[in-house]
Amino acid sequence: MTDKKKSQLILCTCGKQLNLDFDSLSADLGKISMTETVTIHDTCCQEDGLEKIAEIMKKKDTPLVIGACTNQKLQPRIDQFLKQKGIDPSRVRYVNIREHSAWVHPDKQEATEKALGMLRGGIASAASSSVLPIEEKEIPNHVTVIGGGIAGIETALSLENLGYNVTLIEIDDKLGGHVLNLPVVAPTGKPGAEILKGRLEAIEKSENITIMTQTQVKYFEGEMGNFTVNYISNEKEDELQTSAVVMATGFKEFKPTMMDEYRYGKNPDVVTQYELSSMLTEGSFKKPSDDGEVKEVVMVQCVGSRSEDYKKDCSKLCCTFAIDNAIAVLEKNPDANIRVVYMDIRVPFENELIYKESREKGVDYIRGRISMVWEKDGQTYIKIYDSLLNQYFEVPADLIVLSSAILPPDGMAELSETLGYILDDGGYVKELYGKLRRNETRRRGVVAVGAVTRPQFVFEAVTDAQAAALVLHNELQGGKIKTVARGAVLNVDDCVGCSLCAQQCPRGVPLMIEQPEEEEDEEQKILFKAAIDTLNCHACGVCQSLCPSAATQLNFLSNEQLWDQVEATLEDASGENLITLCFYCEECSVSTIDIVGTRKMEYPASTRLIPVPCAGRVSIIDILKALECGAATVMIAACEHDRCHIGGTGNEIAQVQVDVAQDILNAIGWKGERVEMFRMFSAEPERFTNAIIEMVKRATKFAQSPVHKGTAGKYEVATK
Amino acid sequence: MSDPVLIIGAGVAGLTAAVELADSGVNTIVVEKLPTVGGNALDLYKAFPTDDCFYCFEGNRWRPGIRKCFYRSALIDQPNMDLKINSYVEQITGNSGKFEATIHVGPEYIDAKKCIMCGLCIEYSSAFSLVSPQCQPQAVTYDPDKADEGDKKAVEECPTKAINLDAQPKKETVSVSDVVIATGYHEMKPVNVDEYSYGKHPNIVTQLELAQILDPIGATDGKLLRPSDGKPAKRVMMVQCVGSRDENYYPYCSKICCVYALKHANILTEERDASQVSVVYMDIRTYDSHERYYREARENGVEFVRGRVARVEPKDENELDIIVYDSLLDKYLKFTVDLFVLSSALEPPEGMDNIIDSLGLNVASGFIAPADLVSENEVVAGDHIYACGTALGPAEVPESVTQARAVASKILQNRK
Repeated sequence: MTDKKKSQLILCTCGKQLNLDFDSLSADLGKISMTETVTIHDTCCQEDGLEKIAEIMKKKDTPLVIGACTNQKLQPRIDQFLKQKGIDPSRVRYVNIREHSAWVHPDKQEATEKALGMLRGGIASAASSSVLPIEEKEIPNHVTVIGGGIAGIETALSLENLGYNVTLIEIDDKLGGHVLNLPVVAPTGKPGAEILKGRLEAIEKSENITIMTQTQVKYFEGEMGNFTVNYISNEKEDELQTSAVVMATGFKEFKPTMMDEYRYGKNPDVVTQYELSSMLTEGSFKKPSDDGEVKEVVMVQCVGSRSEDYKKDCSKLCCTFAIDNAIAVLEKNPDANIRVVYMDIRVPFENELIYKESREKGVDYIRGRISMVWEKDGQTYIKIYDSLLNQYFEVPADLIVLSSAILPPDGMAELSETLGYILDDGGYVKELYGKLRRNETRRRGVVAVGAVTRPQFVFEAVTDAQAAALVLHNELQGGKIKTVARGAVLNVDDCVGCSLCAQQCPRGVPLMIEQPEEEEDEEQKILFKAAIDTLNCHACGVCQSLCPSAATQLNFLSNEQLWDQVEATLEDASGENLITLCFYCEECSVSTIDIVGTRKMEYPASTRLIPVPCAGRVSIIDILKALECGAATVMIAACEHDRCHIGGTGNEIAQVQVDVAQDILNAIGWKGERVEMFRMFSAEPERFTNAIIEMVKRATKFAQSPVHKGTAGKYEVATK
Repeated sequence: MSDPVLIIGAGVAGLTAAVELADSGVNTIVVEKLPTVGGNALDLYKAFPTDDCFYCFEGNRWRPGIRKCFYRSALIDQPNMDLKINSYVEQITGNSGKFEATIHVGPEYIDAKKCIMCGLCIEYSSAFSLVSPQCQPQAVTYDPDKADEGDKKAVEECPTKAINLDAQPKKETVSVSDVVIATGYHEMKPVNVDEYSYGKHPNIVTQLELAQILDPIGATDGKLLRPSDGKPAKRVMMVQCVGSRDENYYPYCSKICCVYALKHANILTEERDASQVSVVYMDIRTYDSHERYYREARENGVEFVRGRVARVEPKDENELDIIVYDSLLDKYLKFTVDLFVLSSALEPPEGMDNIIDSLGLNVASGFIAPADLVSENEVVAGDHIYACGTALGPAEVPESVTQARAVASKILQNRK
């Protein structure tokens, strides 16, 4: 139990526009033993209000509870102001009495009661809050880039420009990757070697980039700021220390040997598109079988791509590559006949103009598929189905070029085991969030660039690399990190070594560390215990809700704080006053609920809302606590599937907690439906009102749970 | 102290660049012509590839590394960012890290920092309104064309005295070190493409207009209704490549229309109870993993017709007959629909050619092309001049974000 501190309170009337009874609020809150003072102000967000807040905080060293509009808007302004005044803002608690009460409940008394309950909760939570320290740490100013293709090279150069030392690891004996062999790169029409030239010169000259070719990374240890890279170079194992890792291992072209219809691997005149690129670059543009002239060329699109059997998705680049190569072939042999068999030609933006150019140059496009390839008297033939003419026809071919699917490179799964990124269904590195955070991976300090994330054009890979350098720079801050230590703090003595936190942390922060040998009590010894670097933590609280021994807790929302808050919020709950308690995440859910407020959409006032950083912070115990404290129903508002703001899985952890809570309640006959989780989406505010109306309905149906505070430990049979 | 960076346009790309730079301690001036940030994104309801709302974006590190809703981004409280709404850049002179920009700043009727959104003014006068619950800055706007008696009362009663009806536009000249062009795109209004009769019948709309019909915060509360009579629209036809891949308008492919058309087709069939959705196309271009939309659309029973629309014949005020040439069947087909949706080309926004000319940039079909074609540095448009987002040509949201970060990265690299 921490020392509980009284709070000062400031309530904002929002320019006297809030339909709340501030006199009664002030009187009732003043009576609470944990209240130091109550101040009412008309505009907390304006200069005079900010001054008032600063004045209150300077006068007495206590927590401060602000009852006002949404903290999502207010907090940045207040934090900024207090920072300028040199006041620590970490013990300020916000209770939203505007969007979450006054604006959605037209009945003044009801709205006031709800505000009172939530403010009581705020005071209770603030009572055991502590000042969050600003901490500093120094980490190696070094990044390791795996993969020496265009994306890896560009990332290394960008990072060097931002002041980092870089080790660039390449498995091959030279840098350049696939781009080196491209005869023409759309949309500029330059050969790949030319695009690489300036960069390769720069990297050769660089003093801060160490190049290691013929080197293969085996595994990793550690975390952001302190990774150890274990690698094999010239058959020798070695390791290096680094602060962050860039995955830039490129792509692999699908080799369609198992697709019998194409005879790839059996007939030397059947090649892949990339093999044709290499032939064109090396200048050996002859029939592979007999070095004869190549006149009849058939290119086949979507070999392995857009197929249920091999790769479901489109490989994006192959249409453009095929067209580029078709034009390059015509340059070598203007008499060549080129047919491209396709399903849909997919050439984005100005690549369409190259498509047009190729048609003007005589490339023939046939919408359809290939039914078979065969050889007769040393000549290769191909049978094409034309879906526009609904006809089959057979043509001889000197060269058949398969636009083969572009796949993730080998070794991705192996590295993910120790590097901690996850793979998507297609085997690519899964981005942290598809809309906005493409280069970041699940693991903090690990970014992915270029084709390892999805098929990319050269210019896209370059942009990716430049962006990823910024992402890492944001994380590493040049090696000197100084920030508020706000997040999970682990008490190692309480750790039982279960490793749930390490397995389930959405960003892979906790590490399991082998414990030093101890003489005594070998049987009781815990071999591995968790370690959490609070400065690497995203502060979601998933580890806290899963920890069986309460060893890891958020330093701004401990178990004690949340339980005190729940209890105080529900103080007025009773058989007559049936309350629905809603835990909401401070991401999609707070947005949705705030918008419900801004749009003044109404819902019952017999509801109390408690914020949590992520729905994953809510544990089964927290849910049962709410029922114990008198809530009739408990709802959890979380982000949609796959849209959790915190690494993508906090909401799913919450779902598991809710499911288990329901099972427990059902098992003892207390109605699992008392508890439910709902997915929020701020473009659809009805999701919240529909959900909470449903839970209020269930509250009336089920009443309070049979055992709760007020039954004084006596078992009371549920009446409904 | 270096001069600030000028960012033109506060859509997804411009804002990302601005916030990344501001968070890194670089001063920025963001010029936006509309009264709120967000650009085209604000009107899109659901965005691909994640199918969630469009209102969130990265930045504002008071909770590090976690994306925020626009409305929570508190842009006006970001100390390194000077956001100028209702404004536009008149002229940029100078070069190579030393630019002078003349900015036309619209009248500041509402002091956004003072507005508390209490809603009092909106009660008094219809000249005041909230553009969107997620607008940023979070403040009401004032439309002088709708001025009435009530607005004086609003001025008097405003609790924070945030309203100044006498505000005048002004001109500001600023020195800036870098220019970031993030002016976005404009959806072509296909009024001149005769075969589609756009503008001649209320039930013929563009994809962006359909997005607003589908938006639960929009006029129809998200219900799929015929604009003509407000009755449910059950039969919908979409046509691709309106103005794109067309020598008479834009020869390029607009790249994202196939994806968002199919995204809409899936919403219509899965969530809005449309009984018949058909898509007329030349090639379906769902690049990369967006292929999923195509697979889902086929599973949802969306009908794909390869061919072109020959003509539109309004049957009556509410229904349209569409005559389509099907190139696979080599036949003309007739469809009767309630709503006809045009996947209209993405074109450069107004004023783009001015920017390109005055700064002497390379051009790609009216959009900005990279300065150095060999390097494949797409975001570098000139010496200390950068571009990101759809200013570089049609782009997805994640591409715009990545480009914007690349711009911020490049500027920081230069300043090291």
